[in-house]
Amino acid sequence: MAAEAPLRARRPALRWKSRPPGSATTARRTAADRRLGYLLVAPVLILLLLVTAYPLIYNLWNSFHFVNLSFGALPHKFVGGQNYTKMFTSSAWLAALERTLAFTVVSVVLDTIAAIGLALMLHRKFRGRGVLRAAVLIPWAVPTVVSAMLWKTMFDPRSGFVDYFLGALHPSWASITWLNASVWRSWTVIFIADAWKNVPFIAIILLAGLQVIPTDIYEAARIDGAGTVETFWRLTLPLLKPALMVAVIFRTLQALLVFDVIYIMTGGGPGNSTQTLSFLNYQTFITSLDFGYGGAISVMLVVMALVISYVIVRAFRPRT
Amino acid sequence: MATSRVWSGKRRTVAALGAGIALLAAACGSSGSGPAVSAGAKQTIVFAESGLGTEGAQTQTAINGFEKANPNIKVKVDVLSSDSTTYLAQLEHSFIAGSTTPDVFESDVTYPAKFAQAGWVLNLASLHPDMSQFFPTEVAAGTYQGQTYAVPWFDNPEGLFYRTDLIKTPPTSPAQVVSDAEAAMKADHSLKEGLAFEGAKYEGAITAFLTVDSAFGGKLDPQNLNTPGNAAALAWLYDAVYKNHIAPTAVTGWQEGQVQAEFSSGHAAFAINYPFVEAIPASQEAPAVVGHIGYIPFPAGPGGTPGSALGGEMLAINAKTAHSAAAWKFIEYLTSAPVEVARAEATGDPPSLPSAYTPALYAKAPYFQNVKVLNGYSQPRPVSPNYLQVSTDLQVMLSSVFANTESPAAAIAGAAPTVKSDANATPSS
Repeated sequence: MAAEAPLRARRPALRWKSRPPGSATTARRTAADRRLGYLLVAPVLILLLLVTAYPLIYNLWNSFHFVNLSFGALPHKFVGGQNYTKMFTSSAWLAALERTLAFTVVSVVLDTIAAIGLALMLHRKFRGRGVLRAAVLIPWAVPTVVSAMLWKTMFDPRSGFVDYFLGALHPSWASITWLNASVWRSWTVIFIADAWKNVPFIAIILLAGLQVIPTDIYEAARIDGAGTVETFWRLTLPLLKPALMVAVIFRTLQALLVFDVIYIMTGGGPGNSTQTLSFLNYQTFITSLDFGYGGAISVMLVVMALVISYVIVRAFRPRT
Repeated sequence: MATSRVWSGKRRTVAALGAGIALLAAACGSSGSGPAVSAGAKQTIVFAESGLGTEGAQTQTAINGFEKANPNIKVKVDVLSSDSTTYLAQLEHSFIAGSTTPDVFESDVTYPAKFAQAGWVLNLASLHPDMSQFFPTEVAAGTYQGQTYAVPWFDNPEGLFYRTDLIKTPPTSPAQVVSDAEAAMKADHSLKEGLAFEGAKYEGAITAFLTVDSAFGGKLDPQNLNTPGNAAALAWLYDAVYKNHIAPTAVTGWQEGQVQAEFSSGHAAFAINYPFVEAIPASQEAPAVVGHIGYIPFPAGPGGTPGSALGGEMLAINAKTAHSAAAWKFIEYLTSAPVEVARAEATGDPPSLPSAYTPALYAKAPYFQNVKVLNGYSQPRPVSPNYLQVSTDLQVMLSSVFANTESPAAAIAGAAPTVKSDANATPSS
């Protein structure tokens, strides 16, 4: 109590010093400062509007118009919800939606579990921890196209080392063609390549979350007789929820928009069995040059991302 | 005063922004073509191509010759991506933006109809090209609605390679290809497969299928895909992997480069591929392969004709260029017999002119005799402005069959309506 009194006494004095009530000069200065602040951020704001807001709005406009550039300079006439109707009734879009959602759920769950394990390991004190923490981030720093090419080469039946080791284990396992020769094997390699790239990123976010948990509560739990598993479920995981929420949102959005790894590894094959929404969107834009229909697919992806993010935020909100 | 300074600064910012937007609008508006420049005027034309390495160097040699013969015309080379999908996207972006450059460009045989429909390439009728001097199948690839939009530059007929040391007489039927491959695999254990072909999910899988197709009486017609001939050709490729086991499942990842590597390294008795396999230097081939390469159209079965798929590159002119006369002079120079022969000798790109196949060329590169034979059989892929969509559908069909996720009959029956619908797509559909 004795320590709080001077603090309370100082607060009005500080406010008085920064903005004396009734001072017109200071008010004008504050307004000028605010305007200067707006001017200083204006270039960045304009740039952001140009590179994010403008394409988003233009894309939304396209999605309600006929904009197929492969037919040349035809007028971009208004078609209402025709592109959306085409999308919702398209078997290709529905199948891609199903695959994308399945990929998102499976990869987010598996990657998060792996990342929690990795973060807990990196949180422990051991020799060389700093080097390992830095090394773990390397896969995340490698461009996805490069990492996908690496994994594709490693799983090549003729020159990849994966098949070489499998062949050493059992002759009948040799010469397995992983990509584009089987649906489940193609997905397996995609999941592995995708996890290798993204797990470290989530792990680092979770590691930051672990580091702000006070150590004394673990000591208290230990004194109270809590075991490792109980401590993890009842202390670590609940206290990790804010970091977990951020990590899951990031990872979910990444998984929802998965493209590069599939483009490089399978091209959507075998058949269309690894074609996701982003890949379908790429084909609509780049191969068909249909910016109207492609715009509708993009808008739907943005809506899905917003809804999923909202659901995740609600799910992680602390219960009162 | 402070307020006044801020407001005057704001006005300056708004003024600068307005000026910037005005400049941008002016810049965007300058993409239309200007008045036509005559061929005799001093000018620079931009030529877009994908050639790197030997091909790029040979193009530069040809340009040097052209500039020497036409001192008033300079040619600036714009090297675009060597990846065909990226190359196409780069060209399309220029055209969509209404750019006047490139003035003249290299085009795959499947692009001209698409570019012509969009109004991006010049109708060559006013330049009076003599198309009778070229191989007719490639001329057809550059023709849209009866008008010529692209000129053949070099002509790549895909066919069947075989090892002459293992297969003494070339096979005369698809069944004999299988039996010869099986016999070769039994006789030579260094072989990893009897047949290598492009089975990856990309355009090359379609040309591999097309090479085999006519041997079974098939025809790659988007209006009528599900025919007994097409189904039999697809079933033959499927059986090669899953029934006769002369081709490995690894073909599902092979493009022409991997197929060439398998054949040149002595792993395959047969390979379906483009003529460049014969132009590979002996130093890059396994000793057993050197001097033992045969190259024939895919042998015909009952009711079929020998098969070959047309590949190759063409030359076309941007519809918005002001330098069409100079661009046309450049095309005439590149497609003249001496320049095509020089390119064939340096790079292995087969000439598009039948008259270029002379004893002098055969003396330097005997394999062009085989290429000339295949040119007589090569079939173009469907000439349609919607070919890229049709190609996407066909790739899905072939990929499903090669991965054994669908039977050939089911895959072709399932793909036929989609292929037809995409081929006939119009702005109103």
